[in-house]
Formats: sequence, structure tokens, C-alpha cells
Amino acid sequence: MSIINYAARVINFKIVYYGPGMAGKTANLQYIHRCLPDDNKGKMISLAAGDDRTLFFDFLPVSATGVRGFTTRFQLYTVPGQTHYNMTRKLVLRGVDGVVFVADSQWDRLRDDVESFRNLDENLKEYGLALATTPHVLQYNKRDLGDVASVDYLEYLLNRGARRVPAFEAVAVDGTGVFDTLNTVSRLVLVKEFGQAQEARA
Amino acid sequence: MRIHDLVIHESDAARIDAVLLRFLSDANASAALLIDRGGQPLAEAGTARTLDVGSIGALAAAAFSSTAALARLLGESEFSVLFHEGVRESMHVSTVDDGTILLAIFDERTTIGMVRLFAREASASVGGILAETRARPRRVGALAAPLTAEEARRGSDHRPA
Repeated sequence: MSIINYAARVINFKIVYYGPGMAGKTANLQYIHRCLPDDNKGKMISLAAGDDRTLFFDFLPVSATGVRGFTTRFQLYTVPGQTHYNMTRKLVLRGVDGVVFVADSQWDRLRDDVESFRNLDENLKEYGLALATTPHVLQYNKRDLGDVASVDYLEYLLNRGARRVPAFEAVAVDGTGVFDTLNTVSRLVLVKEFGQAQEARA
Repeated sequence: MRIHDLVIHESDAARIDAVLLRFLSDANASAALLIDRGGQPLAEAGTARTLDVGSIGALAAAAFSSTAALARLLGESEFSVLFHEGVRESMHVSTVDDGTILLAIFDERTTIGMVRLFAREASASVGGILAETRARPRRVGALAAPLTAEEARRGSDHRPA
């Protein structure tokens, strides 16, 4: 749910990184937090269990240059990927404006990817939202590992809507594809909110 | 449950600030934060020291929503108040409306009873203002026209240092 505050000159959006357990959602936020200049980020909060697996969510507020005198702020959240934490995932999705679906590219995780993707669609419906109309991008993570499915096959599994959505290959732990993913979902969210004018071609 | 976007115009922000300041004075609390249930801060008052409002908003909304989920497991619609007691400072979080909660930070200069009493009054006032806010046109003035490609790029561009 976007919040436009004319007094504070701020536009707030919420972006949720979704996907199966251990796919690299937290790694995305950690890399963003490590690399952004201090002026463009707040404190990162991780509510994790003792084994570093996300228990509730990770949270990282970031901001971009802004538009027309308004700062654009994006609150980045992750969800716990493990199947049995569905109630928690639903809570984190409340008020979401955009989604990054982080898929694990390894062959033996594809079933978990598909299950998590279906679960995302179901949970969005609880808030009256549909994946088809919610700005989202796909990130095929862990491309550096050996036993990974081809991008074509991942597209076949996950990017099958009436309109193809942007998809990125990534190695979140070293930052490959992380900012491309973030900038694209941020842009989709912004354009959904305000529209984008058709510009005449030169 | 459909969640609606929110636009706070300058006049609404001033009225909300006035209600929060009055609440601080009546309840003798040290800080008040109005938070969207999705975790985004909407307004703040009286934060004498620098608080990390973004983090507090995210954590308080999460705590409140998980408490509401617990309530539903017990057959309640929600627990309308959440109270955390500290050694020096305490925190009181209560319902404003379906989309918003009010968080108050207070110390030994007041009591939980006073905070609770005046939070209820403040919530009713703020809830009325938010109801008007939600009915207003979404985009006016500077944000009325669609973005150019360059504006969309600048508004969404995050770059590593």
C-alpha cells in the first residue's frame, strides 16, 4: 500500500522478497545494505532463529533520488521461506506494493520454488490482490552452483502469465543481479502508482 | 481484505500532529507514533531523542499483527491493546482503525491507565481524520501528471556506493 505524505514530501512503498527457504532472500537485503551509501539506507533488522534462518522477517528501508521534490522510500521485507511459517508470510505481505520472487535455481529445489510461487498467489488473494496485477519480478538465484536448471526451464515453470515479467539471473551472495532486481521492481511499483507518459519518438 | 492506499495532505498532517501533541500533553507520554499496519510510519510527535521511527514502525506493526493473529486463534477478533513494560520506559500500542495503530512511549511520570485512557480519545480523533483522508483524491498538484521515463528512472534508481 503506497503512502503519499505531502507534508513530509515522502512517498512510501513496501516491497517483499518472497520465495522458498534458503533461496537467498536475506542475502539480497544483506548485499543491498552492505553496498548502499548511508544516506540511502536505514538500519537492517533481521528477526532470525539461532541458525540464521529467518523467523519472522528482515527489514531494510532504502530511498532513491525521488520525483518532483518527493523522496521515494522503499521498505524492503523478506518472509520466512519454510513451509510451516505461512501465517507469518501472510502478515508480512500486508500492504505490499511489489514483490521479488527469489527462486533457487538448483534442480532439487524447483519443486519448492513452484510451491512457494503458488503460495504467494494464494496469500496475495487474502488481501484482495492478484499476482497478475501486482508489480513483481523474478530472480533466478544461485546461478554459480553446478546443478542448476536452465533459465529457459525456470521461465517455463515460473514466468507463464499472460504477460512475461522481468526476470534476472543472480548470485545474491556476491551481488550479481541484486541491484538490477531491486531497481526494476522499484520502477514497476512507481509506474503502477503514477503511470508513465508516452513520450514522442525523436 | 482489501487494503487501500493512503494520501496525507498537508492540512491532514497538521491536524494529526495537533491530536498527537494533545495526547502527549494529556497522557504525559514522551512520544507518539502513528503507524500503518503494514509497518510504515505515518506521523510522529514528541520524539525528544532521535528514535529510529522506520524500525519501530516495522517491528511494532509486526508485533501487533502477530498478536491479532494469536487473538483469532482464540476466537477473538483481535487484542486491541499491546503493552510492553520496561525498566525505564514502556510502550503501549492500540488500534486506531482497520489500517492504523497508535504507539505511545512513556516512563514513570505517568501510568498505563492514563496512557490507555487518552490513547482511546486520540485514536477516535485520528481515526476521523484518516477517514476523511482516505476519501480525498489521490494525486493532486505536483504528482497529478504521469511520470516521464527519466522521472521513473530517478525515482527508482538505487546505486551501490
